Amino acid sequence: MAYTRNSTSRQGDRRGSSQRGSSGQIRKKRTCRFCDNKEDYVDYKAEKKLQRFVSEQGRIIPKRITGTCAKHQRMLVTAIKRARHLALLPFVSDAVK
Amino acid sequence: MPDVKRVYETTFIVNASLDDHQIDTVIDKVKDLITKNGGEIREFVKWGRKRFAYPIKKKNNGFYVVIEFGAPGDVIAKLERHYFLDESILRYLSLVLDKRALAARTTAALLAAEQPAAEVKPEEAPKAAAPEVAAVQNPAGAPA
Repeated sequence: MAYTRNSTSRQGDRRGSSQRGSSGQIRKKRTCRFCDNKEDYVDYKAEKKLQRFVSEQGRIIPKRITGTCAKHQRMLVTAIKRARHLALLPFVSDAVK
Repeated sequence: MPDVKRVYETTFIVNASLDDHQIDTVIDKVKDLITKNGGEIREFVKWGRKRFAYPIKKKNNGFYVVIEFGAPGDVIAKLERHYFLDESILRYLSLVLDKRALAARTTAALLAAEQPAAEVKPEEAPKAAAPEVAAVQNPAGAPA
């Protein structure tokens, strides 16, 4: 019991201060951009918006990097895949081919 | 089948190498098919010619059309069959618009209506957001 209590309090501390990455850089805590803007639907037609969540090669950027929450990441992924079907976004960008 | 109407959205891509009036006849056929089967068109948007992100049937351009309509469910099957048979339609996507999507639509429409007041916001948002992603993209390859 004592051990678990200790570990949780330690986690709490870490969250309170700025997080450090493996390289020692101080990382800012990211927030979900869709939650911030109170958007409850991700439209596949807004290709410019979706492009932000896709790497230069055309891959979907994981939520641990963009900070998108799980719910919105799910919506985002379906939206990106729909956009790809309609050739609004690439499956693989030309630079990689 | 009970006559349950739902709101759908269908996007399709017409071969852009056709003439404008040929494209119009293709679009009208689709619209007719919807209305004749008990559907009503709520919104109709022609995006016009757009460049593809990757070639489809060896073409680099397409004419995009988006139609939002309310209709009983069996219309979708007929519509998709039509899309499949019409060779000048390159791609299509049909979706049910759920409550959430419709709510987003109405709020977007409201925002657009009061555009002069809200004009500052959309400009500010992408600027603030863009550098964040650029900084983020590099570590993507590094971990694991």
